[in-house]
Amino acid sequence: MSMTLTEIENYVDAAAVVLKLPLSADHRPGVLNYFALASSMADLVAAQALSVCDDPAESFEPISLSRDAVSKRVFGTRDEHATNTR
Amino acid sequence: MNATELLNRSAADMAGAVREGRVSATALAHASLDRIAATQARVNAFTDVTALRALQTAADLDARLAMGDTTAKALPLLGVPFAVKNLFDVAGLTTLAGSKIERGKPVAAHDAPLVSRLQAAGGVLVGALNMDEYAYGFTTENSHEGPTHNPHDLARIAGGSSGGSAAAVAAGQVPISLGSDTNGSIRVPASLCGTFGLKPTYGRLPRNGTYPFVASLDHLGGFARSALDLALMYDALQGFDSRDAGCVARRSEPTVAELPHGLQGLRIAVLGGYFHDQAGPEAREAVARVAQALNAQQEVELPEVARARAAAFIISNAEGGALHLPDLRTRAADFEPLSRDRFLAGALLPAAWVHNAQRMRRWFALRAAELFQNVDVLIAPATPCAAPAIGTEWLYINGQKLPARASMGLLTQPISCIGLPVCAVPVWACDAALPHLALGVQIIAAPWREDRVLRVAHYLQTAGAISAPVASLN
Repeated sequence: MSMTLTEIENYVDAAAVVLKLPLSADHRPGVLNYFALASSMADLVAAQALSVCDDPAESFEPISLSRDAVSKRVFGTRDEHATNTR
Repeated sequence: MNATELLNRSAADMAGAVREGRVSATALAHASLDRIAATQARVNAFTDVTALRALQTAADLDARLAMGDTTAKALPLLGVPFAVKNLFDVAGLTTLAGSKIERGKPVAAHDAPLVSRLQAAGGVLVGALNMDEYAYGFTTENSHEGPTHNPHDLARIAGGSSGGSAAAVAAGQVPISLGSDTNGSIRVPASLCGTFGLKPTYGRLPRNGTYPFVASLDHLGGFARSALDLALMYDALQGFDSRDAGCVARRSEPTVAELPHGLQGLRIAVLGGYFHDQAGPEAREAVARVAQALNAQQEVELPEVARARAAAFIISNAEGGALHLPDLRTRAADFEPLSRDRFLAGALLPAAWVHNAQRMRRWFALRAAELFQNVDVLIAPATPCAAPAIGTEWLYINGQKLPARASMGLLTQPISCIGLPVCAVPVWACDAALPHLALGVQIIAAPWREDRVLRVAHYLQTAGAISAPVASLN
């Protein structure tokens, strides 16, 4: 899965065009180095076996501005929490 | 004891002295401002000093005390000087977040909630503190403001990104300070500067009124020279705020009264595996000493720690890059040279990498939750080594050549990735060649159990195993 240097160069240059992010000649070598580092990190993560049921850690809570909306439940104290998780 | 001598003592001692009328809040504020003026050129912790505000706040407190205001007298941080990383909004100051780009932007209209809460608890704000630009770094070698120097060895880094926050406390300029921690930015500088640092559970303290870095991972917390001071500060900071989408609606859970319980009922284990392999000999020594003081004989492991650290790296890189994309497009040359290319690269990461990293993060959090079924507190080194010299490019840890600036967070990133509460505690002279330097140990607990990490830290300090002295600055 590891990206070659050529693949990294091709991807970085193309993605920069899509995002309208100019890369100066001074900055581009550093960007390629750090992208390669990120790529190696992504390889580490990708090698972990995950099932389709392994959800991401991000969460979203629907928002209501109406007066009767209860936005978030107030959780209990640490002792109540401990009881609830047993 | 006069105000200048008192400034070397704990925040609890300072508040007690003001409460008992042995010193005025105004005298303490003057002592802090004088200490900052006398040491700023050597330490470079402050980017703004709010002298007028400090003296006015202190005078108001003294006036209330003179009138017999019992509410004022009971304030837990009565007259205690404090300072904040310059990503916190301070009314009347531009929130710099360590950058050149934010200079000239409008000043903040209000204090961040955590600044307001410390002031409401009797604290006296004396200024804003240096940091890595936009919190993306572990060294506070800020090219715009100059590096913050480690008060215990001025040729060495203070750590980062909350380097000014740790250095100000270590230098005796203030007894407590606020910082932020996304991947280790409280625990790394606490480790290198020899202070206590508390990173609470993710979602515990509201972050509105601060300049963000990585919404998925940003935490706020603080520094002190004692566990009791950390607990006093942390208790004053707690409380839900719906304006931070990441803040969990949870009741305040005060910790100060819990400290005397010590180790009672706690199952404590050393984190091995990755946390041993990525630690240098002095970091292993620090953990061994803490383990001995706690009589912690069990060693446990978390699985796939390197992948969790990689997930934190990817999420930080992508969210940070995306946040700054507008400025990266138009004025990349104004970014900090040490982090600009990382931000640029991060803005280009594929969505699938980031999504997988978030899935890895939850998988790892579940494994940690399973481990906490059988143990209450984990201990691990905070940094792989003691503070390197300013300008160091490479570290050599157990035969590995590692980039110095990125690697100072090797041991903190996997823990903040899953939001666990941590208190970093300072252990001294773990490297015989560097007897004047500390190295931090992370005291880690299950989510929402800040009480446990503070209890253990307080026990260790009371037992004499750890300490956080004011630097002599010689």
